[in-house]
Amino acid sequence: MDSVSAVVLAGGEGERLRPLTRNRPKPLLPAATTPILEHVFDQLLEAGVTEITVVVGYGRNRVQAYFGPTYRNVPLTYVTQNQQLGSGHALLAAESEVDDTTLVVNGDQIVDSQIISDVLEAHDDAAATLGLLNRRDVESYGGVLLEDGAVTELVENPQDERGYRFNAGVYAFESTIFDAIRAAESRAGEQSLIDGIIELLESGADVRGVVSEGLWVDATYPWDLLDVSFELFEAGLVDGDYEDSSAGAIHDSAVIREPVVIAPDCEIGAGAVVGPYACLGENVTVGSNAVVERSVIDTDTRIGASATVADCVTGVGVTIGNGTVIPGGPGDVRVGDRVFEGEALGALLADRVTDQGGSTYVPGAVVGPEANVEAGATVRGTLPAETEVRS
Amino acid sequence: MCGIIGYTGNQGNVLDVLMTGLSGLEYRGYDSAGVAVSNSSLAVHKREGEVSALEAAVPDGDLDGLAGIGHTRWSTHGPPSDSNAHPHTDADSTVAVVHNGIIENYQALRRELEADGYEFTSETDTEVIPHLIRAALDAGANREDAFRKAVHRLEGSYAVAAVFDGSETVYAARNESPLVLGIGDDGHYLASDVPAFIEFTDQVVYLEDGQFARVNPSGIVVTDEQGAVVETAVETIDWDPEDAGKSGYDHYMLKEIHEQPTAIRKCLRERVSELEGTIMVEELAELECDGPVQFVACGTSYHAALYGAKMIRERGIPAQCFLASEYETDSIPVSEETLVVGVTQSGETADTMSALRAANRAGATTLALTNVVGSSAARECDHVMYIRAGPEIGVAATKTFASQQVALAMLSSVLSGEYSQAFVKQLRDLPDQIQKVLDESNAREIAEEYDGSDAYFFIGRGYNAPVALEGALKMKEISYEHAEGFAAGELKHGPLALVTDQTPVFAVIAGDTNVSKTLGNIKEVEARGAPVVAVTDSPEQVGQYADHVLEVPSAGPLLTPILANIQLQLVSYWVANRMGRSIDKPRNLAKSVTVE
Repeated sequence: MDSVSAVVLAGGEGERLRPLTRNRPKPLLPAATTPILEHVFDQLLEAGVTEITVVVGYGRNRVQAYFGPTYRNVPLTYVTQNQQLGSGHALLAAESEVDDTTLVVNGDQIVDSQIISDVLEAHDDAAATLGLLNRRDVESYGGVLLEDGAVTELVENPQDERGYRFNAGVYAFESTIFDAIRAAESRAGEQSLIDGIIELLESGADVRGVVSEGLWVDATYPWDLLDVSFELFEAGLVDGDYEDSSAGAIHDSAVIREPVVIAPDCEIGAGAVVGPYACLGENVTVGSNAVVERSVIDTDTRIGASATVADCVTGVGVTIGNGTVIPGGPGDVRVGDRVFEGEALGALLADRVTDQGGSTYVPGAVVGPEANVEAGATVRGTLPAETEVRS
Repeated sequence: MCGIIGYTGNQGNVLDVLMTGLSGLEYRGYDSAGVAVSNSSLAVHKREGEVSALEAAVPDGDLDGLAGIGHTRWSTHGPPSDSNAHPHTDADSTVAVVHNGIIENYQALRRELEADGYEFTSETDTEVIPHLIRAALDAGANREDAFRKAVHRLEGSYAVAAVFDGSETVYAARNESPLVLGIGDDGHYLASDVPAFIEFTDQVVYLEDGQFARVNPSGIVVTDEQGAVVETAVETIDWDPEDAGKSGYDHYMLKEIHEQPTAIRKCLRERVSELEGTIMVEELAELECDGPVQFVACGTSYHAALYGAKMIRERGIPAQCFLASEYETDSIPVSEETLVVGVTQSGETADTMSALRAANRAGATTLALTNVVGSSAARECDHVMYIRAGPEIGVAATKTFASQQVALAMLSSVLSGEYSQAFVKQLRDLPDQIQKVLDESNAREIAEEYDGSDAYFFIGRGYNAPVALEGALKMKEISYEHAEGFAAGELKHGPLALVTDQTPVFAVIAGDTNVSKTLGNIKEVEARGAPVVAVTDSPEQVGQYADHVLEVPSAGPLLTPILANIQLQLVSYWVANRMGRSIDKPRNLAKSVTVE
């Protein structure tokens, strides 16, 4: 088999996913029960990639410790981007690991292997080949104008009505991309990969686009992890059948409603109801008679007896006490100065929030890392790290 | 304490296989390395230094043949040098031998051989073997008989392999030193440890003490001491050899420190139930123990054993901890009621194996607490509990210590039958709490503050005392700096004389139920001007007495010390890193110490 190498850009924090990114970068946040980056790797392997270079930066220890030296027998080489100065800058960090043609994808967006395969197949003697989709939300991402398979223009967040294709962030490059990134003018100290591609275009190089179709999901805000996870169920990328999951100890009288995914070492107590659309990460405990639905519960989280948890995203090591009620969305979520109205978010509890039990969460509540919620408190709004919430 | 590799195959790539094997064994010792390849004659190359020095010394392209053996050496007899490196040969290179272990009667054998006119060119015990083989050949024996006759003369521990000029067969034998055979598509392998040939095959046969093997391209024949053919079981290695990669970390040690949350998850998997409040270790279902418990261990494992013995005593079972190397000479009373627990990461530690064998002979029940499936300890003890930490490459033990501690916490519950939901909950919380320490540690700043000090002292009481000893050992091993650990109360009984304003004192007060007493010891050292770094889960209580604090989450009196130890691992790592030390392969040390 020919070797196919890929570079995965996983060095950025993903600031809009705060407060979940306090201890790890966005590529390590869970889609269902495994990191986004793991799904990215799966799709790369599905498309036939045989070696992967991972550009790491923010939270690199966590990425390296999680994946180790190989993923499903494909060797992983890590290169460090010490400062996060743009996607082009990130790719430059991998230059020494790459010769000739390489595939480049983002480590924090899940793309269907079909898109990757189409790019690999279409890439012939062009300087670059871009994977494109027909999507309506192109104004929030990158737009590409195409004529007879040749890219004529790239526009970020295009606002006009020209016939833009959606840039899926899947690229095949020749080594000319590196000089192009260096030649492109940096903006506010950052080198963008898009500017590098524009530089290629302007130098007269052949830049092609291939229109593809398939799943493309990205979490822009923390609560998007719910929809991203549920889309993976719908697309069959995560198996929601309970029988097939390698679950831990589940009490006979617990009720499991599919689709659901339960990672190893979970414990589910008597009379608990888990699902539908519940994702329990490794080593999660669900106490007796608790109810968990439409939620992404990350590793080491403990849900107390008789708690109700709906439309909830947790970080790792969260404790939700006995009898606490997170009734579910919709609710208004405040992020900085913006308010997102009517989001389907019951509550977002960041890493190691401790809820003592008997609390009630007003939909849209966002609780920062290591906050402590006293027994019987009512939690509303957006609370910073280490807040003491009194009852 | 060395590593052996042997290969015979029909692909004509003997040298490549040997070099790959030696690289995979480098962790076992690395003051010299060598290879011998048999063709119409024997070609031998060896060099002082790491395997890379040997690679540079071997001429390109012209060293291939039918069969070969290789060796990385860690000195026991004679200093590291080209001539003391293995393989050793007889005078005109008809046979080449590599050996791991110690030949106790080598001086007598050497005198005998020298009297018969055989000339020695090295100071090693090993060199007697090729001369013994040659003497048997000279007396008319065939190659295999000559090899067997030579091995029968040896007393001590050995894994030995030999090749002859013009022969495609590798002969091997073992006694109290590990040796494993590999069965591949393109040839057959033998080695001290599986990583040497895992790249080529995962089908292995473990050789037992007293057995011989004849390995050639067509197959492997194992025989007993009398020469009768033995049926062998082929096992499949199911761990990932690529685990040996550094995965982006500068050192294996740092990688392994960061693997601790995962290691502890694996150690606990399917052994604890939080909702039921139970701890069940499947391997120990048959273990019954009413009598006293004796731990035998060395180095870091000894510190884990101290911690384990303390936990078991606290639960009302008499338990003591012995240095394995002192166990036999100390004439420790052992009865059939005694449970002797050997704590050994590799399962091959010679001192620990020797103590366990003595315990077996005395009729005690033996239990191996080890990381290596199929290791000598696992096979020779009555019971085995695996710590499941995964391969550890860094010579300085890190994740295996944490896994040993957690395994011992479970063992103490199993032996006493005492477990509580609260304790199981603490165990299950541990991986995340370790992650928090790793995410938030300020150990690097502490290292920057204090590297270059005259000495480093570590003190702690109760369950923190073994952590203090381990903290000092880690610092010694990888930074080569003077470090000592003490039970905190002992400080004033002598060691206090060493304390100056140039000797930082790391006070471990983690989950401590005797905080005020250890605080008293802190004041003793502060009065001598020593800077104090407190490693604690109660910074509000302790912080005011310390110059710096390394904070850890609270995990109760039994488990918080495990978290404190992780901070100390990081301090040692960063001190050694700033000093540019060879962190994964500290001088004079080897991972698995297979000599007594």
